Amino acid sequence: MRIIAMSLCLLVSGTFGAQASEGERVQIKGEIIDTWCYYSGVMGGPDAVTGSAHHTCALWCSAGGIPVGLLAEDGTVYMVLKIKGDANSAGGDTQLNLASHEITADGILYKRDGLNYLVVEKVVTDHGITNLNHEDYGPIPGFAIPDPTK
Amino acid sequence: MRIARLICAALLCGGASGALAHGSETHAAPAIPEQSAAVTPLPWDIGGPFALVDHTGAARTEADPDGKMQLVFFGYANCPGICNAALPMMAEVTDLLAARDIAASPVLITIDPVLDTVASMGPALAEISDDFVGLTGTPEALGLAYKAFQISFTKIMDDPKHGPIYAHGSHIYLLDGAGKVLTLLPPVLSPDQAAGVIAKYAKPRGAS
Repeated sequence: MRIIAMSLCLLVSGTFGAQASEGERVQIKGEIIDTWCYYSGVMGGPDAVTGSAHHTCALWCSAGGIPVGLLAEDGTVYMVLKIKGDANSAGGDTQLNLASHEITADGILYKRDGLNYLVVEKVVTDHGITNLNHEDYGPIPGFAIPDPTK
Repeated sequence: MRIARLICAALLCGGASGALAHGSETHAAPAIPEQSAAVTPLPWDIGGPFALVDHTGAARTEADPDGKMQLVFFGYANCPGICNAALPMMAEVTDLLAARDIAASPVLITIDPVLDTVASMGPALAEISDDFVGLTGTPEALGLAYKAFQISFTKIMDDPKHGPIYAHGSHIYLLDGAGKVLTLLPPVLSPDQAAGVIAKYAKPRGAS
């Protein structure tokens, strides 16, 4: 078995605290998503590449270095730079544990180049995987599920 | 090996076109919002001087010799994971910018100087684009670059086919010609979107 796990290089430096006031403190409820499959559309429409249907692929993508995002209830996507103490935006234990989970996040929002970047300072509530769309879509994509016979 | 194929498939699906979707269909993807005027300073002080060697053996610092903007990625030339998608994306962005008369260099700074040598980086990167600049150096010299950009990575294992496999970052840094970090680019942006972001940082021709 070969595991390719990559984590993000964006270590928020020790100077972060001094500069945090330049961002905006926010509290956002949403789902931790696989931003690549969500934006690319190559694995399915947005309803299929979220939730339990896409959970396995989301793990692969996060482990492979794809930054996770927070899909808010209003449809806004926040690119997560860091989640509470884990200096990664992908592939870290925290990111993997929260893949596809709905969370309430408290953190600092940075807007830049038309994108929303979020440093999650605290996961206020981990609601777990609440979007059980595998009942509608099955696993998306199907090949994300390893074949135990091979 | 099955798991490796799955990971690569998951990554490659985004790096390539929709033709790699399950079946041949593509799906409407939500658009990244139009760029707003809002700009928040990045929450860290990143970037700084480094002195490395490019894939031709020439010395290279954080400044582009021709003063071009630079798209900088930390990875390795034969990385089967995110680099496999990010590096071609950087090359395509460079082409899109060139079509808009904006000069930029895609730059890969290796995280493995044993794997990526002056001799080996050029041919590997040329398979992606002749525009690519590969930078390597001594562990000490590279360490300064990693420190400047706050790069962390971890060797996960040795793969029989690909060699060392690393956990490493995936954002692309946009530097000006002097080597100052202007912004970062998530690798999930489409080439068009990334080129659009970069174009906003480009100085008009003749501007100092």
